[in-house]
Order: sequence, then C-alpha cells, then structure tokens
Amino acid sequence: MSAYPTVKTVDEFKQQPAEYQDAVRKIVRSHALNELYGAQVFDEPAIQLAPTPYAKWLSCRVAMEEYHHHVRFKELADQIGVRPEEMDTKNKRPLNIFELPLESWEQFCVIKMLGDLAEILQVEDLLHCSFVPLRNIARTTMPEEKFHAQFGLDFCVDLVETDAGRDKVQRAVNGFYPEVPKFFGASGSKNNEIFRKYGIKLRSNEDMRADYMARAKSTVEPLGIKLPELRFDA
Amino acid sequence: MSLVLDEAWFSTLGEPLGDAERAEISAYLQGLGLPADLPVHAASSWQEAAKLCRQPAGAWWQAEDVERTRLERSAHLDPANAEWLQVTERLHGAAAVAAARSGCADAALIRVAAGAATYAAYQQRLARAAGAPPEHPFLRKYALYCGGRWPLGVYDQRFAIF
Repeated sequence: MSAYPTVKTVDEFKQQPAEYQDAVRKIVRSHALNELYGAQVFDEPAIQLAPTPYAKWLSCRVAMEEYHHHVRFKELADQIGVRPEEMDTKNKRPLNIFELPLESWEQFCVIKMLGDLAEILQVEDLLHCSFVPLRNIARTTMPEEKFHAQFGLDFCVDLVETDAGRDKVQRAVNGFYPEVPKFFGASGSKNNEIFRKYGIKLRSNEDMRADYMARAKSTVEPLGIKLPELRFDA
Repeated sequence: MSLVLDEAWFSTLGEPLGDAERAEISAYLQGLGLPADLPVHAASSWQEAAKLCRQPAGAWWQAEDVERTRLERSAHLDPANAEWLQVTERLHGAAAVAAARSGCADAALIRVAAGAATYAAYQQRLARAAGAPPEHPFLRKYALYCGGRWPLGVYDQRFAIF
C-alpha cells in the first residue's frame, strides 16, 4: 500500500500535486455520475415495474438513497473543482452498464444483486483512501450499498422459488452480467497506477475484477443460477 | 421545503381511526375515481402492514398513477434536489423511530414505510406544483400521513391503513 500522507481537508487537497488532484477529481466525478445514472435509468423506473406496493415503496426508498449518494459525491466534486458540465449526464456518455434498457422487475433485482455488488467493491476500495473527505463519503454510503445488493439478492431468492421465476432471473443474469466486469476498467491501467501511487485506491483493476467475479459466482450459485462464461481480455 | 418538520409522521400507527380520518379516506378514494364507500381495514401491527402491502394492488396503484402521470405533464420536480433528499432522510428517521417503539427492527420494512411516505410527499409536492386544489386526492392522502398514519392501499376491495 502507498505511504502517501493523509489529506484531511479540501484546503489540504489544494496543496497536493496536480497529478493527485486530477486523480481524485476523476474518481469523485465518476462516482457522482454513476450514482446519478443508476438512479435515473434503473432505480426510479423500477418503481413502476415492481409487483406490489411493498416492492414499489422499497424501490422508491432505494432510488432516494442512490440520488443522495450522487449528491454527496457531487458536493465534494464542486468543492474540489470539478466543472459542473463534467457532471451533467447530458454531456458525459454513461458507462456501458447504464445503457441496458430496464424492461422487467426480475432484471432490476439482478441489477441490484450483481450491479450493486460491483459498486460495493468500488466503495470498499475507497474506505482507506488518502483523501479523507472521499474516504468519509465511502464509509457513509457503504451500509446503503450493502443493503441495496441484499435487496436484490432477497428478491431473487423469492423469484427463483418457481421454475418460471428462475428462468427469468437466469435470462436477466445472462443479459446483465457480461457487461459488469468492464466496470472495473482496463487491466494495466495508467490511471489505476496513479490512484495506487497516491493511496487513493488500494487495488488494481484486474484484482478487483477477479474478486468481483468470484463474489458474483458465490452469490448466484446458491440460487441455482449460473454466470455466463466470459472472456475478459481488456 | 419544511413539509415534514412539524408533522406527526408514523406516530399514530395502530391507533383507532377517527371520524375525520374516515371522511378523509372516503374523499381520497372518491377523488381517485374509486368507490368512496369501500370498507376500511385498520392494520394493527407492522407485521400485518407488511403482509398487506406484499399483495398486488394494481387497480389502486393504477388509479394513482394515472393522476401522477397527468400532473407530471405540467410540473417537474428534481429528485436529486439536496433539500428534498434531506426531507426523505427525515421520513426514514421517523419510520425507524416508530418501528423501534413497536419493537420492529426490520430494516427493509422500515425502508418500505419511508418509501411510501416519500412517494406520498412527492405526490403532494407534484400536486401543489401543478396547482391542484386543496381537495386533490394526493393532498388528502398526504394529510393522513401527516396525521401519523400509513395508508396502505386497496386490497381485496378494502382500503387498508396502519
């Protein structure tokens, strides 16, 4: 792990090398955008797809938590000098996983189960970040991210109780899962090397991706669901 | 946006319904185009409330949704507004406190209650932004929440409320 000294405040951040500042801005901007895209394209539309008021209201609460994560990251982004136009979803193309059209409740449950698991890994990697304001946001959002993944798992457990439900979950996994490993970025990434040099992140993209794929497998196998075979050469 | 600060959110769950509340429910149903004389079922526990709202309630939800969609044509609210999100946090806190007082520690069910109140608060803000009159059904349902109730919806031809 890098021995880069802790950066406790935004004022201290402004005294850091330009490379450090740029690296932190990239991560904060990425989280702010991803949280916003996720809430807009998955969580909020899921309210209408949910089968019961229980599921609709729970989806509503989850959507609000995701919007709140976006606001937390965006407030920090504003403080550290990310330009507003860089955080406008009209100007920034979303990550590949946010371009999947949401068509069913089963698909949403799978997205929470496997997509939020990916987000958990990303947030875990910031829990000991050298930039304390970012570390604190990660620590604040982590319990909610864990709840969201559990929410997806719990509903998938209910869905796979019938053959028809298991088929729908399997189809949703087949459609969504292949996109997720790309979420961790390219192997041998120069950006990731800089993040680790400054103690902003701890792990390489390839380490995180391998960990994610193992955890995804152990999550779905007890449900009788198989992950599609992937070749990831990035 | 001080809409939640002085209200009695989730504070009268399980208490007997008063005549004014029954009248509010009747007017709310009528406003949605549903029968105003539907029997009212008062849930007595968090567990019963959960069991009820785990059932489909398509006709009732659809009736609300038609009106929500109509209002959204003339008013738009930003769900990522920071002040609004603080309101939703307060609603979650109120649900958690009420649940704890009743010995309920179900984190998902607490979020369900918070989500229901959030949705009602959104509908109320939407109705106001669209210039709806005071007797609008979303404002009537919101008034039930403000009085400490959790309106659960219409199940098996009964309106359920906690």
